[in-house]
Amino acid sequence: MAEQGENMNKTDTAPEPNQDELILAQQRQIEKEISDSIPLVGDKEPITSLNNEYSADNIYLEKIIDLSKKYKYIRRTRPDGNCFFRAFSYANIERLLGKPDEFEAFYKIAESSKDDLVKLGFQQFTVEDFYDTYMEVLKRLKNIENLNDALKELHVIFNEQGFSDYMVVYLRLLTSGQLQKEHDFYSCFIEGDRTVADFCHQEVEPMYKESDHIHIIAGCAALQTCVKVIYMDRGIGKACTEHDLPEGSAPTIHLLYRPGHYDILYQ
Amino acid sequence: MSLESKYNLKSPGVKRLMREAIELANPTEEYYACPLEDNLFEWHFTVRGPPGTDFENGYYHGRILLPSQYPMQPPNIILLTPNGRFEVNKKICLSISGHHPESWQPSWSIRTALLALIAFMPTTAAGTIGSLDYTPEERQLLARKSKNWECSICGKISEKLNSTEGAASPKLTQEESSLIKQIALKAEEDANKKEPSAKVEGNEQSSESGELRQRTAATVSEGGPAEMISNIGDPILEASNKDKLWTAIMLLIIALISLLLVRRLFFL
Repeated sequence: MAEQGENMNKTDTAPEPNQDELILAQQRQIEKEISDSIPLVGDKEPITSLNNEYSADNIYLEKIIDLSKKYKYIRRTRPDGNCFFRAFSYANIERLLGKPDEFEAFYKIAESSKDDLVKLGFQQFTVEDFYDTYMEVLKRLKNIENLNDALKELHVIFNEQGFSDYMVVYLRLLTSGQLQKEHDFYSCFIEGDRTVADFCHQEVEPMYKESDHIHIIAGCAALQTCVKVIYMDRGIGKACTEHDLPEGSAPTIHLLYRPGHYDILYQ
Repeated sequence: MSLESKYNLKSPGVKRLMREAIELANPTEEYYACPLEDNLFEWHFTVRGPPGTDFENGYYHGRILLPSQYPMQPPNIILLTPNGRFEVNKKICLSISGHHPESWQPSWSIRTALLALIAFMPTTAAGTIGSLDYTPEERQLLARKSKNWECSICGKISEKLNSTEGAASPKLTQEESSLIKQIALKAEEDANKKEPSAKVEGNEQSSESGELRQRTAATVSEGGPAEMISNIGDPILEASNKDKLWTAIMLLIIALISLLLVRRLFFL
């Protein structure tokens, strides 16, 4: 035992990469299983399809009944840590298709977004890389006249890993940009001893990092869009909790939040 | 160019690498990198040892391996020139020190990686995997020798960098320079070795995670290292007893999480 104690002391000062790497390896395996079985963005399914996930859970089943009074459909996204950004980006573009005026207004916002990011100090050439792909996707969708064709194309694009991830990255950058631009406001919401910039580098910009309230508020502000999030968990009560973000706004996108994950809802 | 016919130019990842190749096409005084003629996902690079350090006047050559998911996942760097700081022929990857190793950002680039490598060379090795702790004299000797080092593909490396005055690399933005200070490089070989065993665990998860949990729990109570080793594989041999305890606890948590995940995904 004495020897053990000595070893322990020794490792206190040495770096401990082993657990990290073990977790990483395991995580990669789980990620692979998820990516093999769940599409990046799924098809529209009836709300009642949620019942299958909770057949033995009365709390959830009751909440699904409540949910089905307000929403008819759900569109699932892959739980890879990017689900909020992917769902938000998808739902936002989807609602704009078939509304040329609103699409045009959004297109203009997106078009002018790059310069702001470069001004904030992001590497110009990589920002441009993501921006170009983002705009290319918007342009492609804008030019499709038939609404159904456009919706199909959107679905195809968001299920192609390369493009889909680029859409996520650019929204992450825009969210980070928004947070940093208004860091005085957002710094109150950041826990721990971190600056807004640190928070962005650690929790917003890297892929697969999950989103919190603060990501959603900043993401909404960046795209000038409002979101209603329906929280469904094992909490007391038969109804789900709702939050309009930013508060008091008229939401155009509806997301279902279950602990750790976001999906898209349709009325 | 042969590369252009070989790859799907519509793929954002390929487009990105083409872009980076153009951005890095002109050698600077400090670094140069370009893709291999027949493989856009493997690059060779040369960096100059940072002035005012043991690596001054040294030239260091290596390979950059880009994962198929680049830039969503980080590039791997392999040094080929003996340098006394990093083991040669060993994968090292970028991470932010003190944080999760996976916090690579897609808005970083090969250039970021090279700048981080240069900045990271003079830092102390501190026993990190893949790091070497040679004496200053040995490092200086290796730096002098490196001038004559040749790569079997690229030839003499000391001619790869731009030696004319005023060929300085593009100025760093403030964000870049603060970022480079935070980046750490670490060998990844350990994780690679472990992957096969992790995969086995993964495949057995649905049926055996309960058992795995029992096994690891038993190991914790007995403190018996032998059983742990058979579960996890060679690299753990190097880990101390405390490491093993933590590993066991982590494994337990992972097993629980994956059990819950699998349950949610497949059974309900």
